[in-house]
Amino acid sequence: MDTFLYIDTYFSTEPSSGTKEEFEKRITEDPAFAEEVAFYLSAKQAATGQLTEEKNERFKDVYARYKKTNKTAIQKPVIRKLWPYMAAAAIIAGIIFGWAVFFTAASPEQLADKYIKDNFQTLGVTMSSKEDSLQTGLRLFNDGKLNEALTQFESIANRDTSSPEAKKYAGIVSLRLLQYDKAITYFTQLGNTIQLYANPGKLYQALTLLKRNQPGDKQAAKVLLQQVVQFDLEGKETAKELLDKW
Amino acid sequence: MPFDQTLQSSADRDIINNLLQQGVDRKRGEDLLFSRYAYFIEQAVHKYSFPEDEAFNIYSDTILSAVPKIIDGSFEGRSSLKTWLYQIFHNKCVDLIRKKTTNKSSVHRTIAFPDVLAHIADSAKNILQEMMERTDLDLVKQKLNQLGENCRQILWQWAEGYSDKEIAAALDYKTADVAKTSRLRCLEKLRQLYKANTK
Repeated sequence: MDTFLYIDTYFSTEPSSGTKEEFEKRITEDPAFAEEVAFYLSAKQAATGQLTEEKNERFKDVYARYKKTNKTAIQKPVIRKLWPYMAAAAIIAGIIFGWAVFFTAASPEQLADKYIKDNFQTLGVTMSSKEDSLQTGLRLFNDGKLNEALTQFESIANRDTSSPEAKKYAGIVSLRLLQYDKAITYFTQLGNTIQLYANPGKLYQALTLLKRNQPGDKQAAKVLLQQVVQFDLEGKETAKELLDKW
Repeated sequence: MPFDQTLQSSADRDIINNLLQQGVDRKRGEDLLFSRYAYFIEQAVHKYSFPEDEAFNIYSDTILSAVPKIIDGSFEGRSSLKTWLYQIFHNKCVDLIRKKTTNKSSVHRTIAFPDVLAHIADSAKNILQEMMERTDLDLVKQKLNQLGENCRQILWQWAEGYSDKEIAAALDYKTADVAKTSRLRCLEKLRQLYKANTK
């Protein structure tokens, strides 16, 4: 132990040049002493090695905790791990899309609304210098004066019971005024008029029934639409579209 | 040169302060330092295409070599801790790439001799190096484990560079002299155990 004390003192202090010279001389001349010095240094190396191994093990734990708390740990696996989430997102998006397509598609009632909005907001006026009573009604309608327009068309229809145009417009204005019963009456009369080449009476009657939506109206509307398609009447394409959404 | 703290973030200052303590605080400082820049591992995986375990070893080695430099004041704080640490890490990565590309890793399997040998004249140093190369370090480590917890702890503290005064304080020895005597006894015991196996 005295030898180790000597060696230890030499390495743990700043040796004088004399001490250094003597120490080095002993190493070269005394193999047993040199062995002791070599072992002293090797023991320190071995202890340092063990310490390093112990620290490495500790760092492994620290790193494992780090990886657990920091999702950024190693990006490659993270990128791979994104795929399940992306797949899940795609499936959810698909479900939402499917739901949107199959469950939120326009119903016959909504399609009827759309048709009325697209076609019955304004009505065509004939460009003629001769102002007849039907054109007056149409102008009143297009000016938003629906009640006056209805009075005008009803007046014509009463005067000339064979005028399908007056009945058609009276029905349309009644529909716009939400007077469904009156509209149905006019459209029924229109539908029963046989002299017309293009008679939209049954289609308009069906649309009005869908709007009124009383018990039995929807079924009655469906029958009318089927007739439109079956007999190739005016508005066949619209009728088909409505029936497709049934 | 005194340590310049101005470039260090408060988190880094805390880590450095922990490392300058002893025992549990230092250990905590090491763990904090490791954890704080552990993302270097990820960077090495991507930048140098190292396997994760290899990048981990380089980073661990970086921390182990940086800590003594922080403690002994070699790190003067003239750059941020991150910059300084990354420089060490980067150099180690480049070293490994060089070793891999030149296949030198198998050639350079030599023992890293202690720094203290640098101050010894060549004639004596060669003798010591030769003898150390003949020493079976694995057997020494094995015998260290047989010494018992107290001896192992005191020798670990010594290996880490603690003075006898610090060892006495950390391991509850009455004085530095008592710690020193205990340490040298443990060393002697280790040598005897080792010799018994090599005879």
